[in-house]
Amino acid sequence: MTIAISIDSVSMDYKTDSGIKHVLDTVSYDVTDGHFVSIVGPSGVGKTTLLRLLTGLATPTGGEILVRGSKLSGAPQGLAVVLQDYTRSLMPWLTVEKNIGLPLKTQKLSKAEVKLRISDSLEEVGLTGNEKVYPWQLSGGMQQRVSIARALAVRPSILVMDEPFASVDAQTRFDLEDLVLKVRADFGITTVMVTHDIDEAVYLSDEVVVLHGSPAKVSEVVTVDLPFPRSQVATRNDPKFAELRTRIYEKVRGI
Amino acid sequence: MSAITRRVPAGVVSTLVALLIWQLAAMVGPLSSGSFPTAIATVGAFFIILTEPILWTQLLATAQMAVVGFVISVVFAVPVGICLGLSRFAYRSTKFTFDFFKVIPPIVIIPITILVLGPTIQMGIFLVVFANFFALAIQTAYGVRDTDVVLLETMRCYRLGTGRQILFARLPAAAPFVAIGLRIAASVALIVAVVAGLVGGAPGLGQLLAMYQTGNQIAKTFAVVLLLGILGILVSRGIVFAQRRLVFWMGK
Repeated sequence: MTIAISIDSVSMDYKTDSGIKHVLDTVSYDVTDGHFVSIVGPSGVGKTTLLRLLTGLATPTGGEILVRGSKLSGAPQGLAVVLQDYTRSLMPWLTVEKNIGLPLKTQKLSKAEVKLRISDSLEEVGLTGNEKVYPWQLSGGMQQRVSIARALAVRPSILVMDEPFASVDAQTRFDLEDLVLKVRADFGITTVMVTHDIDEAVYLSDEVVVLHGSPAKVSEVVTVDLPFPRSQVATRNDPKFAELRTRIYEKVRGI
Repeated sequence: MSAITRRVPAGVVSTLVALLIWQLAAMVGPLSSGSFPTAIATVGAFFIILTEPILWTQLLATAQMAVVGFVISVVFAVPVGICLGLSRFAYRSTKFTFDFFKVIPPIVIIPITILVLGPTIQMGIFLVVFANFFALAIQTAYGVRDTDVVLLETMRCYRLGTGRQILFARLPAAAPFVAIGLRIAASVALIVAVVAGLVGGAPGLGQLLAMYQTGNQIAKTFAVVLLLGILGILVSRGIVFAQRRLVFWMGK
């Protein structure tokens, strides 16, 4: 199996007013091509810091990150992101189609191709016909669908999601989780997701990486061998689901 | 009652009540002894001055100072503000100077401007620009700097460069701040244009106001004030109208 992202002994220190804060300590992990990986861990452990390193927004103070064999500097080619706060990551002054079309400006595409990508990705997330509306005219769940559509439109090779469903209500959350499973079945994009919801991590992932400690280390990598296709009822009632959840929960708590 | 309130806007009712209180205060109230004109006399004088050609000449002069001054301030302050907002170094190194000039009331530099430019339209225009330029530039810079970090980072993740970040994120993010700045600047332009005439002797409604005052034409003096109030409301309504269309996402 090919390695999409290789995190090799990555450490991260921040300078603060009260001295140096060690956030990550020699974190190593390889993301297999096409896998869906979740990063879980207690609040403030450094999950989001790790994501910032993966997206090239920050550079590790130790170790290195390789994306398909080449060292990361800046955002890697073919990266797409979905962030928790859709109201802050979508542009209120652009319509849905222009929000989705904006990242495509870095790719030299014809107008027709751009239009096609926008309509295809809106169809994938179930928002066909909402091209001309503004994000703030849509519900929270629908806005996050727009974020996902924007990510899909770039035809990403790596998708990074930071607590993507933390700002929506429970029912919408289930719907969006199932949308992510559908996207995964359709495109098989290598995905790294940070979440604090262990159930969600198990439900969606091939592997769950548990970060623990201060500075944080990888305390466990749990393979989720639940069968696909997964469903909210059957998968979550699978005894194996409960077993995995318990195991991850104990690791997150450091038991 | 509900049938009446449905047909008559609340503003009309409160205006009529205010006029009534004015009328009563000037007739039987504490102000009745002096030369305080009644509401009816003022409204009457208002329609009389509207027929006098001097009013229109002076109104034109005031409008010229306010509009030209406003346009010049916007044309210079907004680009300067954008540059200050984009460069942390430029922002830090100019902040003190800009704040310093921002807090100087335009009225205190009138003596200097009279020495240099004389009591002219140019002086009025200069005062309007002086009153608006610094505040508007700072306001614009503040808006550019206020662009949401999450949005900028999202753009960086999608490999959108600095140029596109400025065009698609920083400038639109600054627009609501600029809009507020323009609304304030428009009102200030009108006020300063009048003050230029009132205190500095430049042509315009300020000069007319001073003329009626020294001629002891109290009702006409009040009528000019009334006219200025109406102009102020029209200007502010006009800007709000434009703002709703241009910065339609404001507050969303």
